[in-house]
Amino acid sequence: MEQLFAALEGGLERLNSAPTPEELEAVRVELIGRKGLIAELSKGMGKLSPEERVATGKKLNEAKQTLEAAYEARQAAFKSAALMQRLEAEWLDLTVPPSGLAPGAMHPITQIQTEIEELFVSMGFAVLDGPEVETEFHNFDALNIPPTHPARDMQDTFWVEGGHLLRTHTSPVQVRGMQTFKPPFRMIAPGRVFRNEEVDASHEHTFTQLEGMMVDRDVSIANLTYFMKTLLAKIFGREDVTVRLRPGYFPFVEPGFELDIQCMVCEGSGCPVCKHSGWVELLPCGLVHPQVLKLGGLDPAEWGGFAFGLGLTRLVMMRYAIDDIRWINSGDLRFLNQFGGPRA
Amino acid sequence: MKFSRNWLADYVPGLTADGAELGRQITMRTAECEGVEDHAPQLKDVCVARVESVEPIAGSPNVKAVVETGRYGRKTLVCGAPNCRAGLLTAYWPLGVKKIAGVGSEGMLCAGDELGINRDHNLIVELTDVAVGDPLPGLVPDAVIDIDNKSLTHRPDLWGHFGMAREVAATFGLELKDPTDISLLPSGEPQVNVQIEDFTLCPRFSAVVFENVKVAPSPLWFQYRLQAVGLNPINNIVDITNYVMAELPQPMHAFDADKVPGQTLIARAAKANERLEALNGETYDLDPSMIVVGGLDGPLAIAGIIGGDPSAIGDSTTRIIFEAANWNPVAVRKATVKLKLRTDASMRFEKSLDPENTLRGIARAIALMKLVCPEARLAGGVADVRGPAVAPAPIRISMPWMAKKLGRTIGQNEVVSILEALGFGVTSANGELEVTVPSWRATKDISMDADLVEEVGRIIGYASITPTAPRMDVVPPKINRERAFHNGLRRHLTHVGFTEVHNYSFVADAEARKFGFDPADHLRVLNPIAEDQALLRISLLPKIWKNIDDNRKHFDQFRLFEIGREIHKRPEGLPDEVPHLVAVVYAKDDGVAGLNQLKRLALDLLPEASFRAVAGVRSFEHPARTVAVMAGDTSVGRLFEFHPSFVEVGRAAVLELNLRTMEKLATGRTVAYTAVNKFPSSSFDLAVVVDARALAGDVAQHMPGAVFIEDYRLPDGRRSLLYRLTISRPDRTLTGEEVTAERTRLIEHLRAQGFELRA
Repeated sequence: MEQLFAALEGGLERLNSAPTPEELEAVRVELIGRKGLIAELSKGMGKLSPEERVATGKKLNEAKQTLEAAYEARQAAFKSAALMQRLEAEWLDLTVPPSGLAPGAMHPITQIQTEIEELFVSMGFAVLDGPEVETEFHNFDALNIPPTHPARDMQDTFWVEGGHLLRTHTSPVQVRGMQTFKPPFRMIAPGRVFRNEEVDASHEHTFTQLEGMMVDRDVSIANLTYFMKTLLAKIFGREDVTVRLRPGYFPFVEPGFELDIQCMVCEGSGCPVCKHSGWVELLPCGLVHPQVLKLGGLDPAEWGGFAFGLGLTRLVMMRYAIDDIRWINSGDLRFLNQFGGPRA
Repeated sequence: MKFSRNWLADYVPGLTADGAELGRQITMRTAECEGVEDHAPQLKDVCVARVESVEPIAGSPNVKAVVETGRYGRKTLVCGAPNCRAGLLTAYWPLGVKKIAGVGSEGMLCAGDELGINRDHNLIVELTDVAVGDPLPGLVPDAVIDIDNKSLTHRPDLWGHFGMAREVAATFGLELKDPTDISLLPSGEPQVNVQIEDFTLCPRFSAVVFENVKVAPSPLWFQYRLQAVGLNPINNIVDITNYVMAELPQPMHAFDADKVPGQTLIARAAKANERLEALNGETYDLDPSMIVVGGLDGPLAIAGIIGGDPSAIGDSTTRIIFEAANWNPVAVRKATVKLKLRTDASMRFEKSLDPENTLRGIARAIALMKLVCPEARLAGGVADVRGPAVAPAPIRISMPWMAKKLGRTIGQNEVVSILEALGFGVTSANGELEVTVPSWRATKDISMDADLVEEVGRIIGYASITPTAPRMDVVPPKINRERAFHNGLRRHLTHVGFTEVHNYSFVADAEARKFGFDPADHLRVLNPIAEDQALLRISLLPKIWKNIDDNRKHFDQFRLFEIGREIHKRPEGLPDEVPHLVAVVYAKDDGVAGLNQLKRLALDLLPEASFRAVAGVRSFEHPARTVAVMAGDTSVGRLFEFHPSFVEVGRAAVLELNLRTMEKLATGRTVAYTAVNKFPSSSFDLAVVVDARALAGDVAQHMPGAVFIEDYRLPDGRRSLLYRLTISRPDRTLTGEEVTAERTRLIEHLRAQGFELRA
């Protein structure tokens, strides 16, 4: 018995110095396992007197607790060391670029078009499409541009076989809108338009416009300005923008306006971007000409409206300070890939 | 169109605004000002000087002159003009001392071009009846306001200074002074016989004869005024016609009366094969769509465009006919296009000028003759022939209506005073205004109430209108499903690594042929910019191929796509514009990853898609790597690799989908949810042995629900296609016997189809 107690004495040291988790386990089994030394000593207690039994029991219990605590401490140390080792071994160069597919980019025209579509849809405007090859009637006559009108000289038209043409503006969709919807209605029509122009850094024969139209009983210049300000604040990501209307001549509106926005580079004090005027010409707009309403099947005595046209290609160029319009339809991924990624 | 600030001020005597302020106000109220430039600012320093003495400079064509300037004292300077002579009164410009031909020159004596008077550069100006040291009479610095012609398209009245002066007067609330004195028109029998053959071609023709005319240069102040607005002074008679054109605006023409046979002018259509040698030295072939001023022997002028050389004013001219006519704007415009000749006159006639201006023009010419050709005498009365005049119907407007259109209230008095300042007649009746349109606004500009909103709005200033949200019904807009579908596709494609391109709709004949498309199947542009942009695309592929060819120079691999319209001819009506999607994966290295990715993409976009062998491949498709993309028996597009002769370096895989078909298939596609089975399922694998070039798609269609696991090549060259079938029942667990029975049934079914199964 005394010998066995002596073994217990050395056990603590053995647990504390076990070199491996396996040896630690072996010492644990030997000392405090189900058939270990403590268990064996407990079995021998029956031969002791009651007084001795109490004293020995207490002693054994204390020894067991001590050994168990030492075992657990040693075991935790092993676990912790193993974890440290693993962590150390798992070093990874996370600066290596990832494999797999990177997202592509939507065309910047698509992006700005989608933004504006979402804005107008939120204000109750429907999005309409029209054909790229149009009739002369829709592109000109129905917009109060009869064959003899000098305004036809202002736009260089591509004519195609069959007497049709490539639409020179998105305005013919106004006519289609009036033919499609019952008033009151609000619509926008983004799309590709064509002008017979030589291409250079600032001229394109193919570009994207967005037409807008609202028809209701009482539509005023004040309403038009409201929507234009809302639109431009959104496009330029501002709380508010300063705009001005000045007279502009377009046969399908009366009165017609050029809408200028206060230059955002110089805030109106004058700089090269605004040619020192403080203003940048942005979009033509106006109240729908009564003749256009009539040709669209609406009674101008009952209905009125406003219309505007926005050059999306130009907006994209302004937004990103793109100096050459030819990039837009170039299909060059060195240009297009720059427009990817989420933006808030 | 250029406007002289000083000229405008002639008709608006109270005007104090400078050129820049005028430019701003005109932009905000009337038409777009493109710029304002000082004209001859040096005139504030220039004065009259007398040449006292002249001596030659050895070895130089110039002379050394001593001049008395009065204002600046006696000066010595170098002058190169051959007319520099002692006693000459001329213009002196004090400039710093500058060494010329070895002589210190204290300033310069000026030629006409140096003072903005005319284009004379050779001779210094010669002055009479002036005092040394005085400013040059009638010549003061001016500002030239350049107005965008396009913004004047609808305003014939603004092609002259008087019209613009009316706008300026209304804008600043100043009085307008009319320069025209109709009482100057002589009465009596005209000395010129005027005839109009067709009043639609020539609504009005007025003329008058002057005799004892001395053709000479105009006075300098007169030349100066024309030069400021870009009209070159010629001689006093021609200058008068240009002056009246730039003033009223009424283009005029002066004939040498002695070269007009029978003193007869006939406004008529040109005859076939008529020709005219014009003032510009060119000879023009005329046709009956053009109008001429004819004489008894043939055309004398192309109406509204240019005069003829044979009847032109020359130095020896002593009798002239002033013509002021009104011409059909469309005929003039068409003639300018045919003749490729636009003139200051034709630009104005195209805009539908006021027929009332012809007599006013004659009256102005008479007044100006007194100033620039005082010797001349009127001969006979004014000839004035016109067609039936139609007075424009008055326009009725109410104040509530005006306020509704403007979006702000406005007092009746304010409306009346604005309209009256602009020359409208206004009477008030029954709470409405009855507005009479003045003749210069009635030719096409103003005909209805909406036009008056603009008149009032622009003069009160649009800045006075507060932006206001409209009252409108809250109605969700109709969704544009096609666009929503396309945008969804765009989002998906960019998420999985494709970049969107936009390509032109034009292709060249050669490009179409290269792809095996018949140019005759394309809609042809009749007036293309270039021959290689003459066809409208019936396929996106030619330009997509170009994208590949361009981008592979910069990238070893890339993915791109386009959503665009194919334009297909139809026998009648507008062509069919069919939206298509083309997606491309290009990689420089060899492999089938691109085709795989596009196959994945096809299934992502169209879950029911299957791939089927095609009967024939197109010339640009890899013959062994092309399949049709099907939805059941509906063809939706193609999946292919570009033929190696089209893409020589690397491989370009292409997925081409008809989005109209795709959208139809996607419409109404819903999720048919079934409850997740509580009972376990059982799986078994089947390996089907096929020939090396069999299609897995042909096997799979006999095993609905089978999941493809592996394509294993056997030693004999055939392939083993491994599929996993998973079966279950919603109400119980399948027994082993049932699973075996199903497996056996399937094996027998496949064998019956001629497939061999691997043990």
